[in-house]
Amino acid sequence: MPLAGFVQQLGIGALMTIQVAVCAYLLALAIGTMFALATVRPRSLANIVWLPYASIFTGVPSLLVAFLFYYGGSEIVISLMAIVGIKAKVEVTPFAAAVAAIGMVYGAYLADLIRSAIHNVPRGQFEAARVLLIPAPMIWLRVIMPQVLRLALPGMTNMWIVVLKDTALVSLIGLKEIMAYAKLASGVTKEPFIYYLLASAFFLGMTWLTYFVAGNLETWAGQGSRRAKIRGKAHAL
Amino acid sequence: MHFDMQVAWDSLPKLLAGLGNTFTVLVPVLILGLLFAIPVALGRLKPGARSLPATIYVSVFRGVPSLVLLYLIYSGLPQFPIVRDTFLWTFFSNPYFCAWLGLALTHSGFMAEIIRGALAAIPPGTIEAAQTLGLTPRQILFRLRLPMAARYALKAYQNELLIMVKSTSAVSAITIIDLTAAANTVFDYTYDPFTPLLTAAAIYWCITNAIRLGCSAADRKFNRHLVRQ
Repeated sequence: MPLAGFVQQLGIGALMTIQVAVCAYLLALAIGTMFALATVRPRSLANIVWLPYASIFTGVPSLLVAFLFYYGGSEIVISLMAIVGIKAKVEVTPFAAAVAAIGMVYGAYLADLIRSAIHNVPRGQFEAARVLLIPAPMIWLRVIMPQVLRLALPGMTNMWIVVLKDTALVSLIGLKEIMAYAKLASGVTKEPFIYYLLASAFFLGMTWLTYFVAGNLETWAGQGSRRAKIRGKAHAL
Repeated sequence: MHFDMQVAWDSLPKLLAGLGNTFTVLVPVLILGLLFAIPVALGRLKPGARSLPATIYVSVFRGVPSLVLLYLIYSGLPQFPIVRDTFLWTFFSNPYFCAWLGLALTHSGFMAEIIRGALAAIPPGTIEAAQTLGLTPRQILFRLRLPMAARYALKAYQNELLIMVKSTSAVSAITIIDLTAAANTVFDYTYDPFTPLLTAAAIYWCITNAIRLGCSAADRKFNRHLVRQ
């Protein structure tokens, strides 16, 4: 049987996992939206940055990126700040390295997702908004983005689960999250199976919770759209 | 921040040995994952008694991170005497066997969904036509449905393949020195974080782009009857 103390530690680790995953996902969302908006037109100047960025970060394991940021992060930050003219000593924590690595890797995936959602908004929506003389920021904020959200939501849900699962992997750089505590408890009690089982139960529970919340979110985001809703087919469960 | 060519050149044999281990893990996982996935996909396609276990299989192995599965199999299972004291131990004491099993289970969960989606995308008329022509269900499956599904699934398979290549970096947690772990060991004795990790990243980048090129070549070959946009 699992000991209460270790289960409690596992809970603390689980909170840490969620924290890292949420921060990384928000960073990825920011990077993704930025790149998606910058490269919405084919042959835009932003492609000079975007194409190498996407190629590199989707072609390399996130664990490797996390190791790079963790071991080399302080040097990277110091040399970046030296360009601006600031001299400071920076220490990179496993938390910061994990968030930066996962955020930058999945930012590239989310940018593709959001851009294709923008492309899938009917052209007539842009044209009608322009004809109505709605100012450009308002067109994006009030007309296009709600529709983009509806189109991109299923993909964004899947990406959130991938981010959450990748957080477990990135714990190998020394993050004190659920896997680290499960390992610790296994080592002390010599009952590894039960603690790893609890860890997998946590991830399964989070997946199911995600699909539950996502289902409601999709109903909310789909308000006013006429598309027939297919129940229970979009996801695994 | 600098890249030391000398260190990169000196550590190349170690990294290439790691790359070899990455492939030793990857290739059996891809084969096993595909073999596991086909019956699960077929089970999930038809509502019935086989649908529920297949659904549970898919949702469990897609929901649990591969690292957790690897730990569960490599460190967790030997807790039980039946694994430790019988012939099973010859398999489960081998990290490669555990890596194959763990990653293949994850891979098969995703593959089952890809295959199911592709099988479901086949126009019903095609299958009805084959039935009318008197083909047996087995013939329809192997000569018609699976080849057609393979064409539909190519794009999704490419993505899954790329994910699997990158997932192999998890096996360093169960003592296998793969490419990522090899880069780490070079860091351990040179204290140069950039050179080994960037070299390893470059190798991964070459592999993933070779897969992308291979998949688009396969797409051009198998889907040449489709209209290009």
